[in-house]
Amino acid sequence: MSSITASPAGDAAHDGAAESAVPLVAKNLVKLHLIASILWMISSMTWGFLASLQFLHAYPAEGIEWFSFGRIRLLHTNEIAYGCLVNGFIGCLYYVVPRLTGRKVLSAGLGLLVFWVWQFLTVATSVGQLLGKTQALEWGETPTGFKPGTFELNYIPVDFLIEVGAVLVALQFMTPIVKAMKERMYVSLWYISAGIVWLILTYVMGNTLVEWNFPGSSGAAASGLYIHDLVGLFVTPMGWGMMYFFVPIILRKPIWSHALSVIGFWSLAFFYPLNGVHHYLLSSIPMSVQYGAVISTMAVEIVVTTVIVNFFGTMWGRGRAIHSNLTIRWFYTGMILYFITCLQCAVHTTLSVQKVIHFTDWVPGHAHLVMLGVFSFWIIGMTQWLWPRMTGNEWYSRRLNHWQYWLTLIGLFTMFVDLLAAGVIHGYMLDALSPWMDIVRAMYPFWLLRTIAGGMILAGQILFFWNLWKTARTPKPYDHRWDLVDAGGAA
Amino acid sequence: MMDRLTTVLGVGGIGCFAVAFLLSGAYPYAITDGREPEAGWDEIAKDVSPDFKDMAVRFPGGFAGLEGGPDAAKAGAPEDAWRAAYAKAIRRGRDIYIAEACWHCHSQYVRPVANEDIRFGKVRSSRDDNNVAQRPVLWGTRRVGPDLTHEGGLRSNDWHAAHLLDPQSTSPGSVMPRYEWYFADGWQVARRVDPAVAARERLDPATARAVSGVYASEDEAKAEMARIAASLPDERSSEKTRMSVVRAKGPTPDGVAVLAYLQWLGTWEAPPKEGGAE
Repeated sequence: MSSITASPAGDAAHDGAAESAVPLVAKNLVKLHLIASILWMISSMTWGFLASLQFLHAYPAEGIEWFSFGRIRLLHTNEIAYGCLVNGFIGCLYYVVPRLTGRKVLSAGLGLLVFWVWQFLTVATSVGQLLGKTQALEWGETPTGFKPGTFELNYIPVDFLIEVGAVLVALQFMTPIVKAMKERMYVSLWYISAGIVWLILTYVMGNTLVEWNFPGSSGAAASGLYIHDLVGLFVTPMGWGMMYFFVPIILRKPIWSHALSVIGFWSLAFFYPLNGVHHYLLSSIPMSVQYGAVISTMAVEIVVTTVIVNFFGTMWGRGRAIHSNLTIRWFYTGMILYFITCLQCAVHTTLSVQKVIHFTDWVPGHAHLVMLGVFSFWIIGMTQWLWPRMTGNEWYSRRLNHWQYWLTLIGLFTMFVDLLAAGVIHGYMLDALSPWMDIVRAMYPFWLLRTIAGGMILAGQILFFWNLWKTARTPKPYDHRWDLVDAGGAA
Repeated sequence: MMDRLTTVLGVGGIGCFAVAFLLSGAYPYAITDGREPEAGWDEIAKDVSPDFKDMAVRFPGGFAGLEGGPDAAKAGAPEDAWRAAYAKAIRRGRDIYIAEACWHCHSQYVRPVANEDIRFGKVRSSRDDNNVAQRPVLWGTRRVGPDLTHEGGLRSNDWHAAHLLDPQSTSPGSVMPRYEWYFADGWQVARRVDPAVAARERLDPATARAVSGVYASEDEAKAEMARIAASLPDERSSEKTRMSVVRAKGPTPDGVAVLAYLQWLGTWEAPPKEGGAE
């Protein structure tokens, strides 16, 4: 398979025609954002791995102010959110939006500006956090740039830059979407256009209310709302927008049920943001609000089930693709983990389970399943599908991609189960009034296993980056016969 | 209709967001914190903690670097000078608590379940957290270390200083990082006891014990040594020649501010509502 044979009918041929006539998709921007996404993922995981060493009394930079555990732990979460996920989704939008609207994005020059603005503000966030310019807003520790409680600048105002960056992203992608608004929109565009608007609203709301206006329990309620909106109204819609586009394209069949798509989108829009307060249950936030959050969290699980059913209905008859096509495998693994994570959420949001697992490693276990197991898996899967098509080159090594899949999946699942178990033990020891240091010592073996699992995940992504790099650098034309294999057809 | 841009953005993008904001942001604010003014720094620092006054003696070097510190540390300083220095110190300490992300491993949020009130102390009402030190809220998210809601006054300043400098020295096995950069080299007065007193009290006359706080400069420590020498009782007058100024580590002004914040935690509560029953 060293040369391009005649392309099979369908997407591959369509791709060629579309791109030679009008270059709808700005390939360089897709590639830039995807590679940035993978690099930020590796960076974030490196910080996470280093931070885990602190728990083993083995962190080499302990005692050095700028690399103190508390500070690098922030880099781990913020780089995943603002570096890896945002770049991955923007890369996705550069491919998906022009194809769904039949129109180019606003401007290629704006594309480069957006790219550099996001890289700059992610670097500025990381450097600011190492320098101690952190903001006490979970998942939004990006520096405000102001001296606490004043309007005096003491650092780059990253919060403001993120708002500018989000508005630029909206201009870039909403332009083709608005131009096409007279036509009915495909499911992906519902998620994408709403997600773009939600990102701006959520970010502004969280970074003004919690930081400047609401104290104590109402601040906690707004903070929970912000955390959940960011995940539920930006990351999740972008992720599902991606799935609704790529899965039918790759499997070459339509989404199973339009009705389920409608139910899925609208119930996500309605129920997901109502979950916020479940981050602070059994607190001094009014109980009516807490119960409301618990009930809507459970409602989300019902919604999630409809979406999962829709995608497995789509997969029906093409199950072979899971075996033959790594992208589909990443996507559907992510969907199964999404189902698990939401089911877990519906269970642990109940007050009797909260009582045990809150404040324990159960929660990071859950968070890793969502941020890595679902959304990063989807970004990795999409990158694996787009990369040979954007570079025009055949994979340097398909075997390395399999290594990446298994290292990441085994690593993640080990970490998930390990942290869940640690959390339950921690929770019951807390309830049993065990001495504090006994609880800490009971966690040692779990923390060791967590580091090992994290090392596997990190190794997988380094292999992936190496493979992407070599693929881009090794001119060996991509063989479109793979498209049939990818669709789960004849191997 | 459900797949038109105007519906998606109007009803979904803005409508659903607004409903959620009203129900889980604005509504809890309106029925709790919105009803009373937030307590400011002056209010929450009005009762100066004895631990804070102790810091002026114990860590004079770092204390002098606090805003208003020198005024408060003067002999016979009025209570208002203490209050002013205290308010600024806990604010500075709170900012460091945020910068170091202490709140990622320590909660300030005791729940009425899992025996938490037995282990950590009283469950606080939303009124107790309606104060400026809880904006942004520092309830926390994970307990790698214990809850700090009621940390103030529980342990001595020395314990906290030693724990920040090297957590394993006070809590063997702890995974908390060392915060060495909140400590600086300084000078301290050390004294060996009079041999006669040592024999009576079963002390080692050869061991030099620290008898003053940690000063930033050698001269200040020497001045303190002279003051101590002048105040020795006759029985111990031989100790005047048994004193020396030695190098010692003490908290920097930032370090003192962190200690002040930790010793403040939980010491302020909202005053009872006017008209009685809460």
